[in-house]
Amino acid sequence: MSKLKLKSRAGKDGRMAPAVVTESLTKRFGALVAVDDLSFALEPGTITGFLGPNGAGKTTTLRMLLGLAAPTSGRALVFGEPYAHVGDAALRIGAVLEATDFHPGRSGRDHLRMLSDSVELPRSRVEEVLRMVELTDAAGRRAKGYSLGMRQRLGLAAALLGDPELLILDEPANGLDPEGVRWLRDFLREFAAGQRTVLVSSHVLAEVAQTVDQVLIINRGRLVVESSLEQLTARVGGSVRIRSPEPDKLIAALKRAGIETTPSNDNTLLAHGTTSEHVGDLAFAAQVPLHELIADSSSLEDVFLELTSEQQA
Amino acid sequence: MKGQLKAELLKIRSTRTTIGLVLGMIALILLFSLLSGLLTKAPNLVTAEDQRGVLSVGSLAGVFSALAGIMLVTSEYRYGTIRPTFLFTPKRSRVLAAKLAAGLLAGLVFGIVAEGLGFAVGYAALTGRGIHLVLNGNQITLLLLGTFAGTALWGAIGVGLGAIVRSQVAGIIGLLAWGFVAENLLFAFVPSVGRFAPVHAGDALIGLTTKHILHATAGGLMLIAWTAALALIGITVAVRRDVN
Repeated sequence: MSKLKLKSRAGKDGRMAPAVVTESLTKRFGALVAVDDLSFALEPGTITGFLGPNGAGKTTTLRMLLGLAAPTSGRALVFGEPYAHVGDAALRIGAVLEATDFHPGRSGRDHLRMLSDSVELPRSRVEEVLRMVELTDAAGRRAKGYSLGMRQRLGLAAALLGDPELLILDEPANGLDPEGVRWLRDFLREFAAGQRTVLVSSHVLAEVAQTVDQVLIINRGRLVVESSLEQLTARVGGSVRIRSPEPDKLIAALKRAGIETTPSNDNTLLAHGTTSEHVGDLAFAAQVPLHELIADSSSLEDVFLELTSEQQA
Repeated sequence: MKGQLKAELLKIRSTRTTIGLVLGMIALILLFSLLSGLLTKAPNLVTAEDQRGVLSVGSLAGVFSALAGIMLVTSEYRYGTIRPTFLFTPKRSRVLAAKLAAGLLAGLVFGIVAEGLGFAVGYAALTGRGIHLVLNGNQITLLLLGTFAGTALWGAIGVGLGAIVRSQVAGIIGLLAWGFVAENLLFAFVPSVGRFAPVHAGDALIGLTTKHILHATAGGLMLIAWTAALALIGITVAVRRDVN
């Protein structure tokens, strides 16, 4: 961590400074330690899943990152500064903490206008973000009539007003129907495509597993895992589902690399304790065609539950 | 800062809360102006103080502008919009400063509407009954301008109070309990202290000459001091406290 130059955008080695950094971040509420000595850094251009069971300290961490709550000790920095000292925070950082943060009697459009007015953005930007989240038709109606999905999208629209380079979302998939979850996933992928950074929290790994590059898992306020999704799968013995027209040749190749397999059905088999990258590389080297190659996310959920429950005892 | 104020004024205009408050205020002032102007017996309407009572019914607007000020802060905490508000403007003192300015402006509008209406109705009732108006021009100017200024200040007092208590219910009950009960008791039993309290300072500002009441200038300064004190405390606590 000390190697990173936090004040400047780029470090000595030319890499971009992290978009988000926490250093020994701690928050106590009386005797309760909600966030406990939490340190992590997020590189620009990554999508990070911030995971943990309810009450693990995710929201408290995000509140400190966003300047809504003061740390008991340690630091929470965005673009190298505490949130309140980031120049033009509204134009660089977009965030949604609660999906229900609207006055029920105010229209969605007026909600966005009062926020855009406060930082002197043009009113045309309000219409742009309404179109982006597909809420133009409902924008004139009072927010109390909105479905949960519409509320989530209105919150997202507010976060996008400043065209931010960092997006922080707390449980954005909560209460969304499968169609809404899919919409959100596509949206986040598109958003992050242009070197923009996303930090998205969830208490359900499966909600974000298909979207994120890396995961931070916390439990009882402490960091349990910080790794890429692939590493996480490999580390705790995740499995990869493979379909190939030449399964026997593939089983032999994997066996030579020390990877155990179990046949599933037809030409499908499961390789254990490895990653889809590794299996793909081995198959290529052995000249075995693959028709399907999937990291098994059901076992990933088991990993997540295991990681977040082992400290409960 | 211009944008902040614009945003706060939009918050006031974009829900039905404000229009409800204004309509309630107009109804109450019409009722009280008519009752006091028409039903008070003529022998009780001859002194300047008597006539001032009829013509100053609009000063009730202070209650409504304080309520509007309280809502401007507490509804943000109640509905959670305080989170996006502070995310967009992390320098919370700027948000509070804009709210204070918006509270003053809204209060001024409340005061002009209310006292304009109350004075017109009261004046029409008195002259219609053939009662000779003994208030001179200066006294009437003080009554009108004092009410406008006082009502504007109450809007900012509401903002300060709202920032301190954050809870809508606590703010409203606190305001009404102080304004209608506690301060009257204080003034009745310890007038030497009670006359410095905000409601009675406001009465002084419009030229009321009740026994023990301050001079108009002192009353105005006292009300400004109350506004400044509550605003300062409100800003200080809003800047320091965590937002859930």
